[in-house]
Amino acid sequence: MSAAEGTSATLNWRRRLVQRLLYGQKVDRSAKSRARVGLAILVFSLGYAVIAGRLVQLAAAPDNHTVRRAADAVSTSRPDILDRNGEILATDIKAASLFGEPRKIIDVDEAVELLTAVLPDLDASELRERLSSRKGFVWLKREITKKQQQEIHGLGIPGIGFLTENRRVYPNGAEVSHLIGHVNIDNQGIAGIEKWLDGRGLADLHMAGLAVDRMDKPVELAVDLRVQHALRDELIAARDKFKAVAAAGLITDVRTGEIISMVSVPDYDPNKPKEANDPTRINRLTTGVYEMGSTFKALTLAMTLDSGKATLSSSFDARMPLRYGKFSIGDYHGQNRTLTVPEIFTYSSNIGTARMALAVGVEHHKWFLKKMGQLERLRTELPESAEPLVPKRWGELNTVTIAFGHGLSVAPLQAVMGINALMNGGLLIPPTFLKRSPEEAVKLATRVIKPETSDKMRYLMRLNAEKGTATKANVPGYYVGGKTGTSEKVIGGRYSKNKLLNSFTAVLPADNPRYLLLIMLDEPKATSETHGYATSGWNAAPVTGAVVARIAPLLGVEPRFDLPPSQQLILAKGR
Amino acid sequence: MFVRLLNICVIVALVIAAAYVYDIKYQSTLRAERVAKLRHDLRRERDAIASLRAEWARLGNPRRIQTLAQRHLQLKPFQTNQIDSLDNLPMRPPQIVPPGTGDPIAAMLEAIDEDLTASTGSIESLLGTATGKGDRQR
Repeated sequence: MSAAEGTSATLNWRRRLVQRLLYGQKVDRSAKSRARVGLAILVFSLGYAVIAGRLVQLAAAPDNHTVRRAADAVSTSRPDILDRNGEILATDIKAASLFGEPRKIIDVDEAVELLTAVLPDLDASELRERLSSRKGFVWLKREITKKQQQEIHGLGIPGIGFLTENRRVYPNGAEVSHLIGHVNIDNQGIAGIEKWLDGRGLADLHMAGLAVDRMDKPVELAVDLRVQHALRDELIAARDKFKAVAAAGLITDVRTGEIISMVSVPDYDPNKPKEANDPTRINRLTTGVYEMGSTFKALTLAMTLDSGKATLSSSFDARMPLRYGKFSIGDYHGQNRTLTVPEIFTYSSNIGTARMALAVGVEHHKWFLKKMGQLERLRTELPESAEPLVPKRWGELNTVTIAFGHGLSVAPLQAVMGINALMNGGLLIPPTFLKRSPEEAVKLATRVIKPETSDKMRYLMRLNAEKGTATKANVPGYYVGGKTGTSEKVIGGRYSKNKLLNSFTAVLPADNPRYLLLIMLDEPKATSETHGYATSGWNAAPVTGAVVARIAPLLGVEPRFDLPPSQQLILAKGR
Repeated sequence: MFVRLLNICVIVALVIAAAYVYDIKYQSTLRAERVAKLRHDLRRERDAIASLRAEWARLGNPRRIQTLAQRHLQLKPFQTNQIDSLDNLPMRPPQIVPPGTGDPIAAMLEAIDEDLTASTGSIESLLGTATGKGDRQR
């Protein structure tokens, strides 16, 4: 008993000692414990409040089931590309890709044997090498067909699987190749409009893993697939007929600057992007620069008429070749007499044009061409563009040669933009591959020449088709106006007599222009049909005529017959 | 006593609530599954539509159509003189026979006869046969 008391006494003593050490001597322990209970209540209720709040949040917030697995989105999803009538030019379809996980493969030899049986185009040794590596993941074949997928699935090889990827297809193949460009195996645009799409933030979306599902909003281009086909068909025929190295064509809407069609053959199939690396298949209209030859005379004439230094009834001396030091400038269709301005245009007189340019002076010439956008790189939606080759020192001789389109190399699209402004009443509109309304175009446009000068230029273009070098491009009913351009190519530093770059610019219809066409033939050869001639009037002009006859009904240009000659219809109206 | 009754009531309410919550939870899981399935179907349908549209565009490619037309049809590109405007179209000739008549020739003859009786009375028979023939030949 006493022993028990003793132990309890020591226990009490110990407890008291611990309590004293812990809480000090004068502490109201009941108050303390109440505070502690209060604290516990608070902590627990906070805990429950958090749980309750989270429950409410989970219930209220939409179920986020759509967090997509990265596995389903290896390739970027891209918006569809449509032509101006809604025809599909490029679209995404889903395709399965085959991958392997080498670490999970049990028997490499068996796997290789089975896979090559289903996919005969797989290289067996390369496949074995890939599957024997220590990597966690290897692509075996991108984009296989549904049937192949089923067969491989049926084989049941461990460590082999499929991922669904977006695959870009171009149902129209080569028809629109240079225009829309193409994508790489990861569905990223690497040329043309496809690259432009990526530049507009699609690449960032892809980086963030958002561009996975089908894009809802397609991109509508200005191009018309039917016109594009007609133009390409005619150009391929022309290239064969005249044995030209290349042929290119461009059709723009005069009022909006939209590019309705752009073809440069030889081209490539965007479904087989490897072809695009061939340097002969470049897009000659935007990535090449050329001396445009007599096409540039239109700009020179417009400049001189607009400056007021000459009128349509002025005449210039073209009796003698123009001599400049050791250079002598002569005429191809030499008349050896004094020519009026319309005659200079219809006979395509180099001497006359040069004299007209000299009449306004070097500085004005330079200023005018700069205003027309011919001296700077033209930027459109297409990432591919070329800088014009402008002479570093621009003297009188340069003005003389540039007046008739030699000594200044521009991208053909650039020249078209300039001539467009001469036709549409004097507004320089930057060309676009996207749809644009006339109102938007007017906002972007800058006035470069007077409307009266534009009327005169259209008269000259039409006159040329009535009785000048462009008669072979005239299609009855469409009132075509046009200008030929023949330039000799520079081979090894000097102009070659038999390597020509021919172009033809046509406006349709000339009295109320709606479309502008440029047809270019690179090194066309003379045929028996052209009586041994290889100049533009004999090849580019008839090709243009054939194109006009095909595209005008597609573009809704109504044929009109029994129209008065240009002198009455265009000039009289303009006065 | 009262407290015990209250407790029983609360327990019963709890059980009912638990059962109800379970039911809702179960329903919502079912619906979520259905939504996921529908969404999956939707995506698959959309992909199928996309590939069909691509196929359609490939089949409707102008180059392909042109090749087929050249091979199988006798058609040629039309000329500008084959187009005319609606203004040049002559007016429709006045209709002699009312539409929906069973025997148009008889009706025509009748109309001519009526016409003739109305205008002249004297040389009725002669003129009637002459114009009748002419009309029929036309």
